Amino acid sequence: MQTPTAITELPQSAGRYEAVGIYRERIIPLLRYLRRNPLLIGGLGLLLGLFLCVVGGYLFYKQDDLLGEPQGVDGLTRALSVPARERPSWNPFDDYPLGTDEQGRDILAVMIVGTPLTLRIGLIAAAIGVGIGMILAFLAAYMGGWIDAVIRVIVDSLIPIPGLLILVLIATSLNPGKGLSVDQMAFVISILAWPGPARAIRSQVLVMRERGYVEMARMSGTSTIGIVFKEMMPNLSPYVLASFVASVAGAILASVGLEALGLGPLDSPTLGMTIYWNIYTSSLLKGLWWWLIPPIVIIIILFVGLFLMSAGLDEVANPRLRRRV
Amino acid sequence: MPWNYIISRLSMFLITIFIASSIVFFLPRISGQNPLEEKLLEEAARGGFLEDTDAMVAAFDEKYGFNKPLWQQYVKFMTGIIQFDLGRSIFNWPKTVNQLLAETIWWTIALGLLTLFFAFIVGTLMGAILEWKRNKKFLMVLMSPILTLSAVPFYLFGLVLLLAFSFVWSLFPLFGGYSRGVAGWPDWSNWSFIGNVLWHATLPALSVVLVSLGGWAMGMRGMMVTTKGEDYMLQAEAKGLPDRTMFFRYGIRNAMLPQMTGLALQLGLIVSGLVLVEVVFSYPGVGGLLVQAIPRSDHAVIQGIVFVLALGTALATLILDLIYPLIDARIKYTEG
Repeated sequence: MQTPTAITELPQSAGRYEAVGIYRERIIPLLRYLRRNPLLIGGLGLLLGLFLCVVGGYLFYKQDDLLGEPQGVDGLTRALSVPARERPSWNPFDDYPLGTDEQGRDILAVMIVGTPLTLRIGLIAAAIGVGIGMILAFLAAYMGGWIDAVIRVIVDSLIPIPGLLILVLIATSLNPGKGLSVDQMAFVISILAWPGPARAIRSQVLVMRERGYVEMARMSGTSTIGIVFKEMMPNLSPYVLASFVASVAGAILASVGLEALGLGPLDSPTLGMTIYWNIYTSSLLKGLWWWLIPPIVIIIILFVGLFLMSAGLDEVANPRLRRRV
Repeated sequence: MPWNYIISRLSMFLITIFIASSIVFFLPRISGQNPLEEKLLEEAARGGFLEDTDAMVAAFDEKYGFNKPLWQQYVKFMTGIIQFDLGRSIFNWPKTVNQLLAETIWWTIALGLLTLFFAFIVGTLMGAILEWKRNKKFLMVLMSPILTLSAVPFYLFGLVLLLAFSFVWSLFPLFGGYSRGVAGWPDWSNWSFIGNVLWHATLPALSVVLVSLGGWAMGMRGMMVTTKGEDYMLQAEAKGLPDRTMFFRYGIRNAMLPQMTGLALQLGLIVSGLVLVEVVFSYPGVGGLLVQAIPRSDHAVIQGIVFVLALGTALATLILDLIYPLIDARIKYTEG
């Protein structure tokens, strides 16, 4: 046991040294590397641009009109996206930059509120999926034997099943006719979000376990948990991140699919629900093109951004890919 | 082909079907709600004069055995599955689920097969040529939009096509599988009807083909990279074989195998992949049936569709397993 004084003294100086050291040793090479990975840059750029638009919308869009209304910053913009607040089916013009929909929502406000909601579903479902997948992957790879066999059989038999249809069954039975809430959607989707990451991470753990530095740590008496968290996790992180990004895209794909079928949150203006209302009310037959274009454009930006990012992260994780391009 | 290989594959197939049908049976029963009761209560709330909903629900439950213990219902359901009896639709009473599926599934299968094979052939050739003629810059330029497209789901791209070609330029119809309101249609012996069907199918097919090209092309390109480095390619070059022979008989033939696996797996998924495309285009296939059944809580129909789609996937895997040793002589029957 160290004395308390030693503990308080040491990290301060070490922390200052490390901050400079990390900047020199990690950040600069990282930036230099990013310049050589246009896929990652492109994906990050697209997502960042979208993020800035949403934040800008929350801060500035029509906030003056709403000052009298007793709500928080989130509530203010959200109030704009409520149905029947504005005149229905108005063309885009000064008052409504993107027009209004048939149910009297300001479409720009719907996009500002809906984009983070859709992302929220993707992030929650992917976090749960990758979390469970990672635990199972380590269990399978480290325990081996029948535990590994059971996990592998379940994962292998779940992956080829058309997931959207299983989700349709679950969603219809949980709350028929009323639709799920945004967070419930995320949990339902996470039910099928773990087999992919579990398989990908398990195979990496199996390879990594035999590496020299893990052997080294084991021989110097590090506990299994220490090896997992101190030695393997940092080296696994590009793989975990790549499969997380892919899972976010998968979860958003599933959520928009469920919503387009009418199983989404009926009272929340997510991007998928906007598409559902478009299909449901046959908006194109009525000529309301301005209602359909914004959600499509944003979802396509999301998917392309996530796709480029995960392709870029793959390149970080498997340096051999770099030579091929 | 050794019998024990066939038997082991067949039993895997049966186990998969058993698991799939059990999922289909138990999932809708998690919540413990009675869809018929919900439906009747909903009608009553709307102001219809349904006096004795409880008695009606009880009579219905009695007739279809929903008041029996769960295991008896399960046994009954599984016996039905074995006889391919998927029950009756509540909403489209008294049609059976089989009848409803028979009316719709051919639209989906025809559209799916057509788009899958077209995208497979064109995409595979594109990928192969892309690697073969590496120095041609214009190929790379052509590929980047196609690769980007592969990140977008079919139905979203379908919506984009719908906006551009049907709404703005009015070249294609906005919805449906054929024009409604023409006397005597659908009539499959009438050429103008068939033309009309093809005209309606163009945009849905295009949205699937253009989006899936990128995946096939990338897969084939990756395999071509490995194949080009093989010794037999060097030998073929040394023999002075014409480029065309090397490309088709030495290159494509050897690089094709993983593509074939992908093709077989996709075959099982064609119907489920098209569900949302059909919703977007109001196409008269299984997707349209599903989207009608969901808001009406027509459980028998939803279950039937999910079961048939799972059956399709399992069947494709089985067929693939059985014919794979015939395509690739290196595979031993006993493995797996």
